[in-house]
Amino acid sequence: MSETTAQTEIRSPTDPESPPFLQIRNITKRFGAFVAVDNVSLDIHQGELFCLLGGSGSGKSTLLRMLSGFETPSSGQILIAGKDQAGVPPYKRDTNMMFQSYALFPHMTVEKNIAYGLKREGVPRAEIATRVTDMLSLVKLNGFAARKPNQLSGGQRQRVALARSLIKRPKLLLLDEPLGALDKKLREETQFELIKIQETLGVTFVVVTHDQEEAMTLSTRMGVMADGKLVQVGAPHEIYEYPRSRFVAEFIGSVNIFEGRIEQDGEDHAVIGSPDAGMGIYLSHGITGTLGQEVAVAVRPEKIRIGKSPMEDLPNTTQGTVDEVAYMGNLSVFHVRLETGKIISVSQSNLVRSPEDAITWGDRVTLGWDGAASVVVPS
Amino acid sequence: MTPSSLFLRITAWLGFLFLYAPIASLVIFSFNESKLVTVWGGFSTKWYGALFRDPQILAAGWISLKIGFFSATIAVVIGTLAAYVLSRFSRFRGRTWLSGAIAAPLVMPDVIIGLSLLLLFVAMEHLFGWPQGRGILTIVIAHATFGAAYVAVVAQSRLVGMDLSLEEAAEDLGAHPVRVFFDITLPVIAPALVSGWLLAFTLSLDDLVIASFVTGPGASTLPMVIFSKVRLGVSPDVNALATLVIGIVSIGILVAASNLHRAARDKEDAAPSHRTNEDMS
Amino acid sequence: MTPPPLLAQGLQGFLNGARRIGLTGRGLVIAIPLVWLIVFFLIPFLVVGKLSLSEAAIALPPYSPLMEWIDGVLSIHLNFNNFLFLADDSLYLNAYVESAKIAAVSTFFTLLIAYPMAYMIARAPDHRRHLLLMLVVLPFWTSFLLRVYAWIGFLKGNGVINTLLIWLGITQEPLRMLQTDFAVYIGIVYTYLPFMILPLYATLVKLDKDYLEASADLGARPAMTFLTVTLPLSLPGVIAGCMLVFIPAVGEYVIPALLGGPDTLMIGRVLWNEFFANRDWPVASAVAIVMLVVLLVPIMVLRRAQAAEEGATP
Repeated sequence: MSETTAQTEIRSPTDPESPPFLQIRNITKRFGAFVAVDNVSLDIHQGELFCLLGGSGSGKSTLLRMLSGFETPSSGQILIAGKDQAGVPPYKRDTNMMFQSYALFPHMTVEKNIAYGLKREGVPRAEIATRVTDMLSLVKLNGFAARKPNQLSGGQRQRVALARSLIKRPKLLLLDEPLGALDKKLREETQFELIKIQETLGVTFVVVTHDQEEAMTLSTRMGVMADGKLVQVGAPHEIYEYPRSRFVAEFIGSVNIFEGRIEQDGEDHAVIGSPDAGMGIYLSHGITGTLGQEVAVAVRPEKIRIGKSPMEDLPNTTQGTVDEVAYMGNLSVFHVRLETGKIISVSQSNLVRSPEDAITWGDRVTLGWDGAASVVVPS
Repeated sequence: MTPSSLFLRITAWLGFLFLYAPIASLVIFSFNESKLVTVWGGFSTKWYGALFRDPQILAAGWISLKIGFFSATIAVVIGTLAAYVLSRFSRFRGRTWLSGAIAAPLVMPDVIIGLSLLLLFVAMEHLFGWPQGRGILTIVIAHATFGAAYVAVVAQSRLVGMDLSLEEAAEDLGAHPVRVFFDITLPVIAPALVSGWLLAFTLSLDDLVIASFVTGPGASTLPMVIFSKVRLGVSPDVNALATLVIGIVSIGILVAASNLHRAARDKEDAAPSHRTNEDMS
Repeated sequence: MTPPPLLAQGLQGFLNGARRIGLTGRGLVIAIPLVWLIVFFLIPFLVVGKLSLSEAAIALPPYSPLMEWIDGVLSIHLNFNNFLFLADDSLYLNAYVESAKIAAVSTFFTLLIAYPMAYMIARAPDHRRHLLLMLVVLPFWTSFLLRVYAWIGFLKGNGVINTLLIWLGITQEPLRMLQTDFAVYIGIVYTYLPFMILPLYATLVKLDKDYLEASADLGARPAMTFLTVTLPLSLPGVIAGCMLVFIPAVGEYVIPALLGGPDTLMIGRVLWNEFFANRDWPVASAVAIVMLVVLLVPIMVLRRAQAAEEGATP
């Protein structure tokens, strides 16, 4: 994850001391008895690429639609550049939105689609022409100006939609599943293009997505939503490495969870006694909590070492039998059954093409992980 | 082929024969030299000539075309507004009533519509002095009302199938809702409105019962003239007229069909889609 | 396709004006169709209702007012005589029963013919399906009056069918078909066939082929599959189609007038005669009101079937 950390450092162009550009204050949205967004507060700074990550029905899209003005909050306040947005209709907001379906006007050419926002602003014709041309080269669609949307591929449509939403130079761009309709390979390429465009223009992006990999790759900061609540906000590596709840730990990536109680809690270490794991799990840092409190310990599969020989250098070791082996190309995932019956998932990079001592079904193995590898979350 | 599917095919094709045989015989006998409708007297186009020399038919035809044009145009405006209101405004007073009333003329017997509108016009003239007498204007109003029902059905299905984010995107880019309607909604549903207009126009041209109730002296529509001729028996010039109508309608249908074909193609873009396409670039 | 900006601007100006008198754009858009339908659809029925309660008079218009100011006192003459008259004279009751019978029988035969056609169209390959559908709709677009007229030439004594039958030697004497109830049945089935095929087609085409294959896979014979899967699933279309034929057929005027005999009693014809021949507007109104009440049940059934159909669409 060192790569992500380095990237995060480069991609923090804003001074966190400056007043936040977008302020969401205690926003709640109810549809009848159903609470779609539940008391969400969030600050986003100028130039950030912020991802709202959540499953369907988590309220992320509703929150985005309140930012763009298509939904009115039941209570709470939204401020953009310090200005309250209450009562401001979508067509008067300084935000623009890129829609999940792209919403390209089928009866207009690519050029007309992109120019639409400028025409409504009353920008002189000559200026519209140059700005559209610039935008077309930014999204690498020169030569497609005269095409109709139904003559474009999915990837091209996506770029037209992006160009159209950027043409008015919004301070805040809202993107609803911007890559959702693309196939996997194209999605990966486009992610980096999107980041590049965002960095070039310095526009603040708020992206809604259900795809955690996408959120990790794109965002400078992200927020995880569940049941209308914003569960955790932070940089991607913070969310991944330091989930603050069991939900976040399980939602992002895969994880092994051990139930247990706090047995020791010192300045520089803690031990969680876990019947699940059949041992006391040692952590090389102190935690907050009282002795005897029920907690859960989360360990990511890639942080567990698997081998046939004992691992004396690691504070946490245990034994088990290999139940399943899934070969996934770059790595292999092992399901190891502990003596307690608990099944642990461990992943290992395939460094060598065909290792001689390859671990396979039925093997008796030792698992071990470092004191800093696990994180304690409320049970 | 299984016996059941053979049976199915035969019954289905007999059904089509049933639909088209009478029409075919009309067309054939319109070119009959003989005045006796069922005796073939040789090929002739004389009944077409007779048709175009009949001032009564020509006058009635012109009146019907005018009525059809104006009533279909009004029907498109009313029907589109009703469809828009029903598909875009989720809650307002009178919604249930509007959705019932707009569709009611589709199933209401013509005699009831005709009678009730006539009584309304009489009562209105009595109370306000308008409309003065009955004639083309009252027929146009009556036809617009029931044509609007058909337009609303056609337009509503198109509006419901349309991706709402198209309208939202335009609004997001700074267009006032009125502007959005003219820039986005109207062009996207235009093929449906063209079909709706044609439908309302045809129904107006075809209506005998409603027009008979609400008409006044001097405003005899084509169906009224045909009806009075036909009651006296089969007449060859009506065959010729029918052939002309069928010919024009068939051409119209072909145009509408290609129009619909294009609409179906556009619909793929306007409808919500989450397809993944290969990038061709 | 974009309308001239002038038009949009004009409308915008109009809306601004309307807003000043307290009407929002939204309200205006709702008001136009609503007011039109109230004036030209709802009020006419109230007028019919009112007139059915007044007395015929030799005057213009030929009825007496319901309410009158007599010496400063409002006097209301409610007159149920028109309805009593309908109940009294067996002609009217017979006409209602006869109309319902003719409409029901015709609807049944229309369904019988339409179902296999709709089924075949729904199962046809895509390109052919559109052509077949067009063939079904095409007659619907040509004049209804002229199509009924075509049957006169077909059914009459020296018409196409009789000529054919005599030529084939099936009969010596021409059969009397025109001006019988039989001709009315034919006319209704013929003109309303598309109204039955289209809703049937709409439900049948949505019927996933996988259901049929699943049923066959589970061991059902084609006939069993049809009875247990296809027919129940197409029921909303059957109901909608039947109502779309039955309701207008009850009030039909043109078909009995042209194809029926003088003794073919149908309520639409009775209403027409009361109105045009007898010039008894109040009785014609009463006939219309009773017809509406009779049709209310099938109309409700139709609406429910259509609602079910919409609910079934994903």
